[in-house]
Amino acid sequence: MYRILQILFVALCLVISAHVVGSRAAEGLGPLIDQLGSAKLSDMDDHITALAKTGDAKVIPVLEALGEGELYQRKSDGKVFLVKAQGADLLLVDPATGAGAGAAPKAAMQKVKVNNAVRRAVRSALGGLTLFSDDTRARLKAAQSMLQTPNADALEAIETAIAAERDGAVRQVLDEARAVTLLVSDRPEDQKRHAIALLAEGNGRNGLAVLTSALATADASLKPDIETAIARIEQTQAFWNAGQNVWYGLSLGSVLLLAAIGLAITFGVMGIINMAHGEMVMLGAYTTFLVQEVIRSSYPQLFDWSLAIALPLAFLVTGAVGLAIERGVIRFLYGRPLETLLATWGISLILQQSVRSIFGPTNREVGNPSWMSGAFELGGLTITWNRLWIIVFALAVFAALLFLLKRTSMGLKMRAVTQNRRIASSMGIRTPWVDALTFALGSGIAGMAGVALSQIDNVSPNLGQGYIIDSFMVVVFGGVGNLWGTLVGAFSLGILNKFLEPYAGAVLGKILVLVLIILFIQKKPRGLFALKGRAVEA
Amino acid sequence: MITSFLMRSFDRSILIAVAILVGLAMLVPALNLLTAPDHPLHVPTYLVSLFGKYLTYALLALALDLVWGFCGILSLGHAAFFALGGYAMGMYLMRQIGARGSYGNPLLPDFMVFLNWKELPWFWHGFDMFWFAALMVVLVPGLLAFVFGWFAFRSRVNGVYLSIITQAMTYALLLAFFRNDMGFGGNNGLTDFKDILGFNIQANGTRAALFAASALMLALCLILTSAIVRSKYGKVLVAVRDAESRTRFLGYRVEHIKLFAFTLSAMMAGIAGALYVPQVGIINPGEFEPGNSIEVVIWTAVGGRGTLIGPIVGAILVNGGKSIFTAAFPEFWLFALGGLFVLVTLFLPKGVVGTAGAYFARRRAELRGQAAETPNNLAVEPMAAE
Amino acid sequence: MNQTIGQTKPTSLLYLDGVSVSFDGFKALNALSFVVEPGELRAIIGPNGAGKTTMMDIITGKTRPDEGQVFFKGEIDLTKRDEAEIASLGIGRKFQKPTVFESHTVWDNLELALNRKRGVFSTLFYRLTAEDRARIEEILATIRMSPRRDDLAANLSHGQKQWLEIGMLLAQEPELLLVDEPVAGMTDAETAETAILLKEIAKSRSVVVVEHDMGFIRELGVKVTCLAEGAVLAEGSIDFVSSDPKVIENYLGR
Repeated sequence: MYRILQILFVALCLVISAHVVGSRAAEGLGPLIDQLGSAKLSDMDDHITALAKTGDAKVIPVLEALGEGELYQRKSDGKVFLVKAQGADLLLVDPATGAGAGAAPKAAMQKVKVNNAVRRAVRSALGGLTLFSDDTRARLKAAQSMLQTPNADALEAIETAIAAERDGAVRQVLDEARAVTLLVSDRPEDQKRHAIALLAEGNGRNGLAVLTSALATADASLKPDIETAIARIEQTQAFWNAGQNVWYGLSLGSVLLLAAIGLAITFGVMGIINMAHGEMVMLGAYTTFLVQEVIRSSYPQLFDWSLAIALPLAFLVTGAVGLAIERGVIRFLYGRPLETLLATWGISLILQQSVRSIFGPTNREVGNPSWMSGAFELGGLTITWNRLWIIVFALAVFAALLFLLKRTSMGLKMRAVTQNRRIASSMGIRTPWVDALTFALGSGIAGMAGVALSQIDNVSPNLGQGYIIDSFMVVVFGGVGNLWGTLVGAFSLGILNKFLEPYAGAVLGKILVLVLIILFIQKKPRGLFALKGRAVEA
Repeated sequence: MITSFLMRSFDRSILIAVAILVGLAMLVPALNLLTAPDHPLHVPTYLVSLFGKYLTYALLALALDLVWGFCGILSLGHAAFFALGGYAMGMYLMRQIGARGSYGNPLLPDFMVFLNWKELPWFWHGFDMFWFAALMVVLVPGLLAFVFGWFAFRSRVNGVYLSIITQAMTYALLLAFFRNDMGFGGNNGLTDFKDILGFNIQANGTRAALFAASALMLALCLILTSAIVRSKYGKVLVAVRDAESRTRFLGYRVEHIKLFAFTLSAMMAGIAGALYVPQVGIINPGEFEPGNSIEVVIWTAVGGRGTLIGPIVGAILVNGGKSIFTAAFPEFWLFALGGLFVLVTLFLPKGVVGTAGAYFARRRAELRGQAAETPNNLAVEPMAAE
Repeated sequence: MNQTIGQTKPTSLLYLDGVSVSFDGFKALNALSFVVEPGELRAIIGPNGAGKTTMMDIITGKTRPDEGQVFFKGEIDLTKRDEAEIASLGIGRKFQKPTVFESHTVWDNLELALNRKRGVFSTLFYRLTAEDRARIEEILATIRMSPRRDDLAANLSHGQKQWLEIGMLLAQEPELLLVDEPVAGMTDAETAETAILLKEIAKSRSVVVVEHDMGFIRELGVKVTCLAEGAVLAEGSIDFVSSDPKVIENYLGR
């Protein structure tokens, strides 16, 4: 603790002294700037460095104007101004004070000459200047730009900045930038070796490029170090890339699981082909939208609770719609799966068009509560909170469903009815009632999935259509009638998809996955975890 | 052998339907070309093309009926076969544009010039010749159906599973054709056609001829399917539909039986697509939409699956209704279509033609029942006619 | 046991040895060995789950055995063939539930079953010859359904459907006929007639009948095999088998 205070104190002193230096230098700023006007091109470099050394923020617009060719010298007195064209005249701004200085005809002014060498000097000086900005974000940006385009001239500026820097994140980038810059400078070999080691440590994407280019020009004695460092970075990167892919795959898998899990009940357990399943998801998403609308207009303080409120509501809404569909249509079509497919497709068209008529065809805005926005870093992985919560939610829904089916009397009845309707009914189970509730349960779960998916997808009337084929693929791939199959199917398809993407691109990757599933079904028509035996044929 | 095979196809309803189609093939072009625009019987060109489009839809529905109505295979991939046939025709039409495209490249279609391609991709070669394109119109969908069916039927992928994977196949093709790299014009598809067989595609005469071609092709396919379903093979198809494993235990190779019907049906769908494209003037990946395939199913269901006239009637009824509905109340068309799906499956499983047919059959049976009271009245033996 | 039945393999019509199959850990057949001689009529009895239907599934190629041999006519390995191939070899099967083509007429059902070439193109260009017509007429007479030839099979009674299915099997001209519970759900009169029909059929081919109805089996008066838990429990005349204590315990009850 004491040490930290000490460091803070030293840092504070440094900042104060930098300010003192800055304000004293400002007095001499005007003449320094005016020198730019009369300097030869070959001397410009020194003048720019001198200006940059003042560390004054006012220098920044001057140098920017110089780079852009908007810095002019008045022919009459040799004073240098920032200008802006206004008709035939030029508006003048005094660089030292930043105040307007009237207008002048173009003929009275002469542009300060620049060439590429000057522009380069301007750029690196600017980078160095913003390194000392008061704004942390500006400093971070400057550090990152130095990291990406290392320039040996900036090395000292970076080192000064490191000494003054208090912000950990900026400091880290600066350290990396220093190492990168060191490699392109003419510093002694042991410093470079140290820099290489530092680059190899980080997960440096920039380090790799710098090391690779340094490899060509480096001394023979340094080459082995660079090579091992490159190998090391590549290895770490490959590891984290694979990790990131797995994470993306898990995330996609959880989305697939959410979309498919309701279908695993209606199709997998009951054998009903519900083509309106996607629309149940869509209705769940629109329920979320409505809940948020009400909260926004009446109870804004509850916004972070919006999803918690929407979940049970979505379950009830879509469950009720499911119940109505089962009682109104599907129950007349038991044993005729192809007709069920057609009728439910018709229902899906009606539901889509209803939503389109009520809410309009465009995307509706569903916000992320604060606990679902943002991201955090885990090693080399970037993990967004909404994706993480969706994975957690998908697994929780899965576990709850498994519990319901295996451990409750309702679940027992459901399984009994689907396995042997006649026997179940003769045992006193009211099979039509169980059918309706099971279907409502599957639909309700689809609605809850819609709440989660509203966080990462566009909420539009077409939302469901995007999921229907995928969810059928997951259920069929995993093995109909097997919840675990759906779980494994969803995650393996998700990960497979994300691992194919880097090689094939997103669309082709998806096509490949579809083709693979089609081929897989040829090989194992009953899916990954198939039920065997005579009962299946019946 | 072939003639006796085809002769078998004619019963009264088929004969009437063929006569109507041939009559339309002559009458509609005549009314379009030979009457003055203000004549009360004049058929405007846009209607000729619209009706021509319905006829290609009717052919598509007939093709689906062969596999669904008679063999119980609910294919949700027929829009894909239709679109593939359409693309084959579209590629021919694109090549006919030649140097008249916006970029004036004599070899490359506009979209390829736009994508900065230097050479014609290998699969575009040959499409400058009509016979080659016509061959591809049947071969490409046929081959896809053959390969797909070969695997699916051999591994006994049945019922809804087959429906789902045919839908996945269509979806994969949809995604693929949206890609520019595929070389089929990506999102925009193929359009801006100029000529077909040297005739201006916009001309009234060409439009009328395309209509006549659609009507005649439909009549031809109707005769063919009728001959097929009346043959012993057709009876086996129905047997597979009703009791697949019984058919297998009688020694029929069910996978071969299905494969033949599926492939032939895909080819017919391809022909329908090829006739469709010049009449609407564009083919784009939207034709692969899984929803389209399901819509074909509802045309067939409305008309009556398992009958041959049904799908034709259904396709024309539903699409005619769609044209009227979308013009009058565009908001409600999807409600109407969705409702149609539900109502037909619940209340009219045999479709319009099937229900009417059953009604007349019952009437005839009643009449015969009265006649049968007189002794020695033997029922007509169906096979005796051959 | 394997050695003793091994000798019968070359002369047998159907030969099963050491056949086992299990579904999800449940052993439906457990080293089953079973031989049918040419021209034999054999009855099979056994409690539910004894493996009777599974055995038929294996013979007709619907299910593949996990292990064991299944040979037809001593040399044709049935485990490597599928249903259609096995049917073409001359093995017919009647299902427990009568399965006929309901939307075809009785005549068409028989025409489809007729033992002719069954390829796509042979059926496409098939024409009914006088010979085929005579054969169908003959079968119609055998199964006593000549007057109903033009009725849809869907409109037949349960017993008539059973007979039509037997007629279809006759049309198939199999050398071995597997019949699964042919008299289930039949009236006594129908049962007696079916027994006569089967005996008539067995004159020219081998028949294996699975049946629960002991009266019916007694009426057939043939060698009986009793299966239990996927293996043969006893084999011999009906009197011999029904006095076997194991059979009484497992199946007939005391």
